[in-house]
Amino acid sequence: MRKSDEVVERVMAGLRDADASLGLEDRILESLEMRAKAHKPAAPRWAWGVAMASVIVVGLFMTTTLIHRQGSDSTQATQQAVAPLTHAPAKPTADQNATLPPNPPVAQVGKRVRSAEPARKVRRMSAADAVLLAEMRAPSHPAPEAPLTEQEKLLIRVVHLGDPQIMAMLNPELRAMQEAESEAEFQEFAGQSGKGDSE
Amino acid sequence: MVSTERAEADVDLAALVENYSRLLFRVAHSVLRSRSEAEDVVQDAFVRVIERRRSLLEIRDMRLWLVRIAWNLALDRRRRIRPEQMDESFAESLAVKGLPVDERLDQAQRMRSVLREIERLPRSERHVLLLSAIEELGTTEMAEVLRRSESAVRALLFRARARLRERLEARGGER
Repeated sequence: MRKSDEVVERVMAGLRDADASLGLEDRILESLEMRAKAHKPAAPRWAWGVAMASVIVVGLFMTTTLIHRQGSDSTQATQQAVAPLTHAPAKPTADQNATLPPNPPVAQVGKRVRSAEPARKVRRMSAADAVLLAEMRAPSHPAPEAPLTEQEKLLIRVVHLGDPQIMAMLNPELRAMQEAESEAEFQEFAGQSGKGDSE
Repeated sequence: MVSTERAEADVDLAALVENYSRLLFRVAHSVLRSRSEAEDVVQDAFVRVIERRRSLLEIRDMRLWLVRIAWNLALDRRRRIRPEQMDESFAESLAVKGLPVDERLDQAQRMRSVLREIERLPRSERHVLLLSAIEELGTTEMAEVLRRSESAVRALLFRARARLRERLEARGGER
């Protein structure tokens, strides 16, 4: 046997005897399982339905509570506005007497009670508005950077690698072509079985 | 009903991995000469199987189909990686252990030159030669994988060996 043949044979034997490290099957099954889990939807459809229904119920409950609270607040406000006027007013001090105008007649007081309620409402509304305005006028800061998704990370890796083959996979036409090839190959093997059966 | 089908498919997948992963590893390794890369190819091949899980029953020659997938994936991967590095470490692993360092280096060098010459062969000859290294594959299966006739495979294998020998001897003469 020539020396070159001998070396070739040794290389071929090396290829023939190549064996995977122990536990190859387990590793593959494990990774396939993980992949299947990653692609599986997080929760079944009925769970989503239940979640949506509970969100709606909670929302309704909160809305009803808010409406009730607002109603009771306005009643309380009216009562508070009327109460000091119906009770005997405390006697003002000498200084207060000097600055304050004389007490209006009872008939006028009644009129003021009616006008005091909307005034308070306006004051309350304006307080709420003030908060909103303050929020609106506050200097805006950009939202903190969201972490990249797996797809985005993959895309960055692909772009930085610049491998023309992987880049080509981003081209939908080429991808479609490759998928068609894979499909054709599958059909070829699927077709073979049919042929084999008929023979 | 659906869960039963899924369970069956799962069982099939485990059996497929058990039966064919070693063969697919050797197929991929013959092209890539790297264990880790070959393992990745085997994994990708089974991912393809999962993608086709619903129509697996249509395929009767599962073995050949899997070999073809692994072969194509390995060829694709070979274009992406730096094969020289892989060949270097593979050649070193082939050198007989226990020899003096200089002899081992010399052996590794010769193995490397064989691998380099294999890579320089015409594509069809190279593919036939690499597949012929896998004992489990007969000429018929090689022909199926490479989409050639059996006689063409035999002729290509003969030519590949002759060309390789010729080139290696010419290189030896130069040295």
